[in-house]
Amino acid sequence: MDVASFVLPFLPEVVLLAATLLIFLLDVLHVRRTEIVGALAVAGAAVALLLVVADLRFAPLASLATLPAGRIDAVGSPTALFAFTSLGLVFQGVFLIATLLVSLASVSRPSDERGAPIFFGLLLLATLGMLLVTVAADLIFLLLAVELTSISTYLLVAYTRRDPRSLEAAMKFYIIGALSTTLSFFGASLLYGAYGTTNLYAIRLAAGPVGFPVLVLLGYGFLIAGLAFKATLVPFHAWAVDVYDGAPTDVTAFLAGGSKKVGLFAFFLVFLAPILFVRTVGGGSPFTGAAVGLGPVFQLTLGVLAVLTMTVGNVLALLQKEMKRMLAYSSISQAGYMLIGITVGTAPAIAGATLQIFAHVFMKGAAFLVVGGVAALGIGPLVDDYRGLGTRRPLLSVAFALMLLSLAGVPLTIGFVSKFVLFSAAVQAQGFFVWLAVAGLLNSALSVFYYARVLKVMFFDPAPAAPADRGAVVGASGPSILPAGGLGYGRAVAIGLSAALIVLVGLYPQPVLGAIQLAAQHFVATGA
Amino acid sequence: MTDLPIVGFVALSAALLAIGVFGILTRRNFILLLIAIEISMNAAILNFVYFGAYLGGTPGLTGQSIAVVLVGFAATEVAVGLGIVLALNRVKGTINVEKATELRF
Amino acid sequence: MILEELAFLVLAAVAVVTAISSLLVRELVHTILWIAVFFVDLSAIYFLLEAPFLGVLQLGVYAGAVTVLLLFGIMVTRKRIFSREAATGIGAVPLALAVVTFIFLVASVGEFPQGPTVIHAYDPSFLSENLFNVNGPWLLLLGLIMLSAVGGAIYLVREGRE
Repeated sequence: MDVASFVLPFLPEVVLLAATLLIFLLDVLHVRRTEIVGALAVAGAAVALLLVVADLRFAPLASLATLPAGRIDAVGSPTALFAFTSLGLVFQGVFLIATLLVSLASVSRPSDERGAPIFFGLLLLATLGMLLVTVAADLIFLLLAVELTSISTYLLVAYTRRDPRSLEAAMKFYIIGALSTTLSFFGASLLYGAYGTTNLYAIRLAAGPVGFPVLVLLGYGFLIAGLAFKATLVPFHAWAVDVYDGAPTDVTAFLAGGSKKVGLFAFFLVFLAPILFVRTVGGGSPFTGAAVGLGPVFQLTLGVLAVLTMTVGNVLALLQKEMKRMLAYSSISQAGYMLIGITVGTAPAIAGATLQIFAHVFMKGAAFLVVGGVAALGIGPLVDDYRGLGTRRPLLSVAFALMLLSLAGVPLTIGFVSKFVLFSAAVQAQGFFVWLAVAGLLNSALSVFYYARVLKVMFFDPAPAAPADRGAVVGASGPSILPAGGLGYGRAVAIGLSAALIVLVGLYPQPVLGAIQLAAQHFVATGA
Repeated sequence: MTDLPIVGFVALSAALLAIGVFGILTRRNFILLLIAIEISMNAAILNFVYFGAYLGGTPGLTGQSIAVVLVGFAATEVAVGLGIVLALNRVKGTINVEKATELRF
Repeated sequence: MILEELAFLVLAAVAVVTAISSLLVRELVHTILWIAVFFVDLSAIYFLLEAPFLGVLQLGVYAGAVTVLLLFGIMVTRKRIFSREAATGIGAVPLALAVVTFIFLVASVGEFPQGPTVIHAYDPSFLSENLFNVNGPWLLLLGLIMLSAVGGAIYLVREGRE
């Protein structure tokens, strides 16, 4: 295999890696200014995003077995380690957008930190892992790529290395992450023992009759547990709020908007196939044995997980007094909505879940960016500290309000479109899935309460008598004389862009939705 | 050619995983947590090795390749954990998970 | 054949005992000793499985590098390395969870052939062909993980000039 045909399909990944290495090189040469390093990271992410969009734009979406620019590998080869699917490309775009927003916002932080190169370098490496997850066609490749993201994010959470809170969050994140890694690899080893391969396509072909039904069920069970930790599904969610709360806020935006979706996409790759293609003939197990159909088992398990995740996340979010923790719980409940799409497993449902994940970058990722910016203005962490923000910072407040409204699923926002597509797909699928849609609708109604409380506090409660704004800034971490009203240009651009896209896609969803629907249809059709 | 019953290996790796998970859930010292993680990781590696030894042919080789990769990965993971714990120790002077209670539920 | 089965039984028993004691012993340095024995014991099991390459790797990486790393971790984080840990309870729920995990996993035993089965030995050259050529991307990914780990961990432990 010549180098070009191996490298060309991975052009976006290569660009990210080159940017990372350049950043580390600059670190060694003592070039550590946030603006320079950050601009490099933004440029790397932007170029990679352009390459991915170009692939999507020019790919003949109707005949997706091959993709241009050398993205050639067979979707269904039982020996390949990676396969380029159009849905994977869409997710690459989503992940790169999350990275772009976070690095844009972080560029304009005060340039007094020596950690800038390590922050942006690890951010790009985590993104690289996320991109590689989307092309995985092999269980071990998938899990190793997930680990690249995980290890980078443990260290990202810890990178403010003198802040005991974030170090402690990193420690919790690390322990839980390592536990989930172990469980995933153990599950993979059981599947390997049952099927004699770790290739997802080969496993898919053998998905019907299996020599070791107990072994396979246990293997998938461990995989569900391991990946559910990464995707913050409910019995495995307890770490997420502490970590999101303790991490530096920009890192939290990346965790919620980007890296947690890796777990969800891994669910797509690992579980959609058995749900979609329950075979009754053929076999791939090294010994012989009785047949089990795994699809219904998974659908029931994932459905229960989805309902639990939505409900517990929303109820606990209602009880929170701190903005970051409330958003963290709301982020957990959103993972439940996304899981509905995988449970239903039809093309419209997958499209709905994908759109929800796309939307979540702008809603939750950008909301955490707002919280980070507001904290830099010297406003406290409680929801009540946001009193009167609407009069003091009208533009910022309107953008934040848009994100919250979209999270609640109010019409004319992207959040409404994604929930509509998702729930209607679940209703179309009939039977058990209708109840998933009902649970989702009830939960959306429940979530309106806590989002509305923030809106009320921001716009209708009177501001505190002495505007804490100015006074606190002087006292807090150094003089924050950033442009764009204390936010910094980068963060202002990232927030404005997200708010604009929330409304634009909400009003005119067709281009984005159409591409996602095509990709989902193709994913379902060529999966086998 | 050696012959061994596969059953014993299944039971051994199951026991190691159970011990490791138990350790992760109960131990409070970070070093002990790292050791518990390593024990359960070794259970997974052992799985790949013995399944590989029993499968034979290319599938078996694949299993042992995975084991090689995982040994390297597990060592990397320990290094990252130690990095975090040393930084925490410098700031707070403890590496016990319970004593570090800035965050609450 | 009976000799090998006997060897396996002894090695497996040692593995379980050392794993449990490494977690329950209260002197942390003794923990390191137990875990070192555990790693060496597993490497012996790999030799028994006719995977000498993995056996050597286990000895070098686990019994060598990881053990020393953990020992350094203990030496750096406490003033007197022989000090005892406070006793930590066993905890009924985790114990039950561990037992349930074990029982579930052992339930799959019935699906395997019960008698002795042939163990395949592999030529290391075939293993390297598989590892570096067919499945090379795994190693590339491992390299990226190590890049991230080294960069981040060095930054974390480096004493910065304030």
